[in-house]
Parts: sequence; structure tokens; C-alpha cells
Amino acid sequence: MKILAYALPLAVVISAPAFAQAMTSAEYVAAAGAGDMYEIQSSQAVLQTTQDPKIKSFAQMMIQDHTKSTAKLKAAAAVSKVKPSPMLTPAQTEMLAQLKAENGPARDQAYIAQQKQAHQQALTIHQSYAEGGKAVPLKMVATNVVPVVKHHIEMLKTM
Amino acid sequence: MVQPAAAAADMQAVLDAHKALGAKPIETLTPAKARLEPSAADAAKMVMRQRGMSIAPDPAVTTKDVPYGADPMQFARIYTPAATMGAGTRMPVVVYYHGGGWVIADVNTYDATPRLLAKQLNAIVVSVEYRHGPEAKFPAQHEDAAAAYRWVLANAASWGGNPAKIALAGESAGGNLAVATAIYARDNRLTAPVHVLSVYPIANSSMQLPSRTDSGNAKPLNTPMLNWFGYYYSRSESDKMDPRINLVGADLRNLPPTTIVNAQIDPLRSDGETLAVAMKKAGDSVDQKTFPGVTHEFFGMGKVVRGAYDAELYAIAKLKKALLN
Repeated sequence: MKILAYALPLAVVISAPAFAQAMTSAEYVAAAGAGDMYEIQSSQAVLQTTQDPKIKSFAQMMIQDHTKSTAKLKAAAAVSKVKPSPMLTPAQTEMLAQLKAENGPARDQAYIAQQKQAHQQALTIHQSYAEGGKAVPLKMVATNVVPVVKHHIEMLKTM
Repeated sequence: MVQPAAAAADMQAVLDAHKALGAKPIETLTPAKARLEPSAADAAKMVMRQRGMSIAPDPAVTTKDVPYGADPMQFARIYTPAATMGAGTRMPVVVYYHGGGWVIADVNTYDATPRLLAKQLNAIVVSVEYRHGPEAKFPAQHEDAAAAYRWVLANAASWGGNPAKIALAGESAGGNLAVATAIYARDNRLTAPVHVLSVYPIANSSMQLPSRTDSGNAKPLNTPMLNWFGYYYSRSESDKMDPRINLVGADLRNLPPTTIVNAQIDPLRSDGETLAVAMKKAGDSVDQKTFPGVTHEFFGMGKVVRGAYDAELYAIAKLKKALLN
């Protein structure tokens, strides 16, 4: 491998992750489940205060779509013998705290900014498992969720 | 292992928040997992919330995302100061490139600086997204940066911008792109930017630089991360000596006036310092400052880190002088 020779002084550090699986099935189920949880909770938070009809309908759509993907994920995880134990990451917990600390239009703006960031991360999670995942049922979920997330990203580009 | 210099208390608060957010060593992760990690900007926001400050994007600036190429990554976020909309005068334009070692992070991660520049300079700031490694390796990022610059020259007027008053700016890997794009503009006889702001750029591929050792174990950037980025963005060994990456080895003559900002506690500090020397030697007008007690990624944290506030004032003054005269 030519590329490995390039990194020779640090080969010990770098070669292992370079050829490791992008994400294990358990990691995928945890990350995708946490992403859905964050999406649903942040959308609920903005719905409590927003006066903007565009944000209202986007947040309602997020709750609907991410509730659906959670159900599919849980079913596929059961078939794949992966135990889902979704827990928000410390970063997601902090994002929710930030959102709830804002009021009025500031919360709307913070919500949109967070959605843009969170959806890029969701795309990374589903895309990398769709490409390199091991469990077929979970891979199917990831493959199906990718275009949904991409659609959300396109919508966010106009917000 | 050499311990890095101590950070100022307000900078340390951000580093502590980064740790509290669960940040893992990037160099131990795959690119996909590294992209899910909390950023230094996320840590700064956590400190802001803890201090009762709003983290909501400043409404004095509005944004829209516009594609400049066919790839989904080839788009730019255009920041427009709300106050001047419809004023009739053409605003200066800053083309800004984000950091992340050409592998991680995006325009969302690096929102603070372009938003601040748009507001403070009353300018349109075009924050360029570009293809990342390892999906698209070097020189994809440099090609996208150049294509975006051409696109801005052609379209700035339609956004209310003045195509004769364009500056280039960037942080980290994007600080490199700002200088590399100025070189590209010179070589291709495009309208030259009136100024270049390069914040802690990747600019020197020597392994012997002092900062690679004295800040080799710093946070949030360390020397192993630099090697990890290089592994994923380059095609081969020879790429790191390409003058677009190893800027100190490029033809640096006849470049626009340039401001280089560095952080003391940063493995890339020597890159900026040696680039300033090389550009001066080539006859360019260069101002370089290394800010004490701060680390990589400090720029844009001016609301919670004093050193960042100082650096932002310094950089904004330079850009103002170039864009508003």
C-alpha cells in the first residue's frame, strides 16, 4: 500500500483507524437513535415558542420523519440482534439546553442553525453505515434514510 | 512529551468545555466518526450559555446557501448585513474559507468569523464549502476554492457586492486556501483581492518547525492530528511538498497585502510565522501577530476569550483599511 508508506513515521497511530470499519452496527444504532431523539426533542422545543409558520411546519415534519426512522431502526436492530439504547450525547444535551435558553425569534434562529449542523452529522452517520455497515437490515434502513436527510438539508438551505 | 504552554483562564474555560462535551482525540478516529465530534466552536457556545449569553446567530446578518458547482459540497453560504439591504451602494466582499484540515468541519462549524466580518465590515461574506478528503483528495479543495473565487468575481454585483473590492480570508486549512487562491488569482490574471487575511494557516510541511514540538501536544489541535489530516487529504507523499500546501515554497512575489494571525499554543504557529518571513522576503506587504495564551481555533471566540477579541479587532482593522478606502 503506497499510501501507508507515506505515513510511515506515524503508521502505528494512523493505519488502524484507516482500515477499520467506519462504524460498527452497535455504534450506528446508538448514533442514529440519538440523532432522532435530538431531532424530535429540539423540534418540540421550538414548537413551544415559534410564531413562524415555515419553522412550525418544518419542525412538525422533523418529528414525523424522525419518529418513522426511529421505528424502522428499532425493528432492524431487533432483527440484527443489536440492542438499541439511545442516549443523547453530551453535545446534543448541550444543544437542547442552548435552545431552551433562547426565547422568541432567537430560538427560531438557533433552531435552524442547529438543524443545519445536526443534519450534516445525520448524513455522515447514515451514509457511512450505508456504505460500510455489516448488518443487512440496518444497512437497508441507513440507505433509505439517506435521501430523507438529504431532502431535509435541501429544505434547510432555503431557511 | 513536551507540555504546551498554559492557556489564559478564559481560553482554558473553552478547552474545559470541549472536554465536557466528550471530545475524543481525532487522530484515533475514522473520518466519519471525527466529523461527529464536538468542535471548539461548540465548546465556545457552551461557555456562552453558561455565562447567560445568547448563542443564537446574530440577526443583524442574514444568510442564504447558493451552489457554485455540481457537487453537493460545492456551495457557498452568503452572509449579508441586514442593515444595508436596499441602500443602493455596493458593499465590499470577503471570500472566506473554513478550516478542518480539509477532512472535517464545514460552513456550519465556522459560522462565527464570517458572521462577525459581515457585521463589522458591512460586507457581503461568502463562506465557501468545498469537497473534503478522503472522498475528494488534494487538490480538490484548492480547485474548489479557486472556482468559488471566480464565481464570486462573476456574481458579486448581482448580490449587491463590489467586485473590485474583494478580500480573501480563511482559518487553518482555509487560511491556506486564502493565500493559495491569491496566488491562483495572480497566476491566472484574475482581479486581485485587495487583502488577504490568513488565520493560523497550514503553510509549511517541514517536520522541524518549533511549534510542531512545543505545541505538539496542545488542544484542540495537536501534531498527530496534522499528520492524520495529511493522511486523509493527500494522494501521495509528494503532495505535502506541493507549493499549494507548502506555501513557504511557493512563488510568493506580487501578492496582495496580507495579515497573518497566529495563536501561541498551536502546532501551526510556526507555519504562519515562517510564511510571513517568506512573503516579506518576496517583497509583499505582510503583518503577522502571534497572540499569547490562546490556542488554535481561538479566532471567532471574541465574546468569551479576550485574546480572540483582540485578534478580531486587529484583523478587522486591516480588512477595513483595505476594503473601505
